[in-house]
Amino acid sequence: MKHLKPLNKKAGLVEEAVDGGKLEEVAAMQTIVGCTATLDPGWEVDPFGSVAALCAPMEADLYGCSDPCWWPAQVPDTINTYPDWNANAPSAARDWRVLDAVFPKK
Amino acid sequence: MKRSIIGLMAATLAVAGATSADAKDYILTGTKGNKLFLVDPGARKVERVYDVPGSGGIVQTVPSPDGKIAYLMTNQWGGVVGLDLESGKPVFSTDFSTSRQVRTKSVLSMDISPDGKELFVHQTSVKLGLGEYEVLPTQIAVYDTASGMDAKPVRTFPAPRRVNMLAMSKDGQTLYAMSWDFYMIDPKTGKIKGEHKIQGWDRANASPPDILDFWPLFEQTNVFSTPYFYARTDKDPMADPEAFKTGILTLDLKTGEYVMDDFENTSAIIFSSVVSPNRKEAFGVYTQLSKIDLEKDELVKRIELPHTYYAVNISSDGKEVYVGGTMCDIGVHSAETLDRLATIELPGCYDMGAGGLRMIQR
Repeated sequence: MKHLKPLNKKAGLVEEAVDGGKLEEVAAMQTIVGCTATLDPGWEVDPFGSVAALCAPMEADLYGCSDPCWWPAQVPDTINTYPDWNANAPSAARDWRVLDAVFPKK
Repeated sequence: MKRSIIGLMAATLAVAGATSADAKDYILTGTKGNKLFLVDPGARKVERVYDVPGSGGIVQTVPSPDGKIAYLMTNQWGGVVGLDLESGKPVFSTDFSTSRQVRTKSVLSMDISPDGKELFVHQTSVKLGLGEYEVLPTQIAVYDTASGMDAKPVRTFPAPRRVNMLAMSKDGQTLYAMSWDFYMIDPKTGKIKGEHKIQGWDRANASPPDILDFWPLFEQTNVFSTPYFYARTDKDPMADPEAFKTGILTLDLKTGEYVMDDFENTSAIIFSSVVSPNRKEAFGVYTQLSKIDLEKDELVKRIELPHTYYAVNISSDGKEVYVGGTMCDIGVHSAETLDRLATIELPGCYDMGAGGLRMIQR
């Protein structure tokens, strides 16, 4: 954790858990079902420290990764909150222009 | 990797049975837009396209053992539709959620009994309060496939968390559930009879292995397989290529034999794998297609693919390998040379996403 600095209270709790010897519990929460907040730093590069082994093109990965909430910050939660986000875009490579930002309903 | 002669003979007989007489291989793949494609890989064409009730796409496909019904997980991981492949009509459906207050999902984990009568689904539920969510115990729900529409479970039993793959043994006596370890569950009672270690392995100088797998690709050989990755804790990760290892986990659904054997220093990502009917080779896919010798535990060949694919399956005679998932085309490759033999485009270009490729004979 020496290269990460918590910016908010929630991130601070992660650091406290690690400092308090609860690393196992933090690891267990790394992948969370149901599109809640997931901390998965490093996904922007591949395991070899480059980008050549990321999915290519990224559109090939878009639905395979966003449906299981692997990209929770970057795309809407299609499991619970915005189920129709990509309903009109069955082909990510062809229809990506249809994919839009979402806003909470008032 | 040593395998018994008896096991090999049983496998050969099983494959011979599947390819007898006029039975022919077909690929089933579910996509975004709630389409199900029936593909004739021999003819290199899409045979039929089905509209599946529901929304959010089809994220998991489990064919009935006789290849007549496809059980399709849809509705944002919230239910299953059983589609008759002859009539194209739904003959089974269920919503996992039992009330507006309890939301139930499945992380793509379901399988069917060998007689086709019971469908097993691992479920995770959350109770929606006014100011908080309460995570409820995970369970396996068992559905009678003859229940028709709006089916309710005939029984449920508690199950471990983090299950993302169910695989039924061929004798129907053991339901395998892959989680951090591989649990053996009595499908009648839910009792955990035993486990094979994954995260809990005791391999010396090794980190717990990493597995990402929700593609059931075992129907051609009755051997479940998945790649795994781990770090050697006694090697310098900055200087020694031996520091990261890749292997193939195989679980024989007929004999119960469980093997985790390394085959290379990690040099490529592999998302899913399939064992050849000859039991001697496995094929793994991601942005490359890899051929692995399971007897010598070594990489035979690796080629670049036109784009990333998540799922790989194989013909009954073991001669052709199919790659799919992600986008809207299925690649046909020679199992011998890995050469690309054909590309089958799905009409309308509906992405397969995380959905896999299932083989049926009809």
